[in-house]
Amino acid sequence: MSESKLVAEKRTQFGKGAARKIRRADKIPAVMYGHGTEPVHITLPGHETMMALKQANALLTIEIDGKEELALAKDIQRDAIKPVIEHVDLVVVKRGEKVTVDVPVHVEGEAAAETVVTVDSQVLQLEVEATNIPENVIVSVEGVEAGTQIHASQVELPRGAVLLTDPEVLVVNVTAQVTAEALEAELAEAEAEAGIEHEEPEAPAEGEAAPAEGEAAAEGEQA
Amino acid sequence: MLIPRRVKHRKQHHPGRSGAAKGGTTIAFGDYGIQALEPAYVTNRQIESARIAMTRYMKRGGKVWINIYPDRPLTKKPAETRMGSGKGSPEWWIANVKPGRVMFEISGVSEEIAREALRLAMHKLPMKCRFVRREGGDF
Repeated sequence: MSESKLVAEKRTQFGKGAARKIRRADKIPAVMYGHGTEPVHITLPGHETMMALKQANALLTIEIDGKEELALAKDIQRDAIKPVIEHVDLVVVKRGEKVTVDVPVHVEGEAAAETVVTVDSQVLQLEVEATNIPENVIVSVEGVEAGTQIHASQVELPRGAVLLTDPEVLVVNVTAQVTAEALEAELAEAEAEAGIEHEEPEAPAEGEAAPAEGEAAAEGEQA
Repeated sequence: MLIPRRVKHRKQHHPGRSGAAKGGTTIAFGDYGIQALEPAYVTNRQIESARIAMTRYMKRGGKVWINIYPDRPLTKKPAETRMGSGKGSPEWWIANVKPGRVMFEISGVSEEIAREALRLAMHKLPMKCRFVRREGGDF
């Protein structure tokens, strides 16, 4: 996992007014705490922070007044619509320390034909070294038949990781595709219930040509 | 179609339409989704129509999640009726959708198919929407 370095400034003014001022200057208000230290209110550079946090569980090196500290993003508040980060909670970590993180599940390979692969648990909670957090947990479904269920205990974990999620939790479910007839019947029934009608283009009768564009336009002008 | 089995009050006030979605603004189950950009009342017919449109395009390959539920009744007075004489009769079941809400999610298909399926579904919905995909991890 790559480390991103961010230069932060200490905040002296608080509240929504000050926070909005910071956001207007393309910066992000943040707070850093952990290991029994007092919370430190800081300001992070907007674009660099956004790029660094694109990766799940990114390890950040925060430089405040020339002092560097390692931190993990504990909570990221985003705008509901705009691609803007409103606030970040950072938790201080030490090198070699074990941390609990939610690691995304990545499915690899092609399951058997006529199957649907569904990821039931999008993340697995793992205990890993802070400086060695895996980007994702890979689950292979190569050639897996319908009816197969892969539970958390069956997932191959990265080296040094300990699974904290319940081992019985379903991670990947491989089911058979519905048959074309069953799908068509279900959709037809749903359409009939909802009163949806398909507009089928009427084929012109033999010898009856469709009106030319010019004729249609002329009729429109007369009207 | 989605209709509540039982409700506490048959006729309700109109739900408020101000503000943005408080939750459900990110993809939770699938890989791709439709996010509302405007507030709107989405009827159960529109939800069903959008589901049918995307399922028809994806054929048998994918899975669809619907994250909204039409649990609010809207009433209507009959045409050419004088005002008064009480509230009209329930006419629609609607979901009160606020901007930012991810309404539908799909998985099990390529991005190209997902984009087209969700584009077709967006045309069945009464507000401006956009295509969104899962952040981090796989993408």
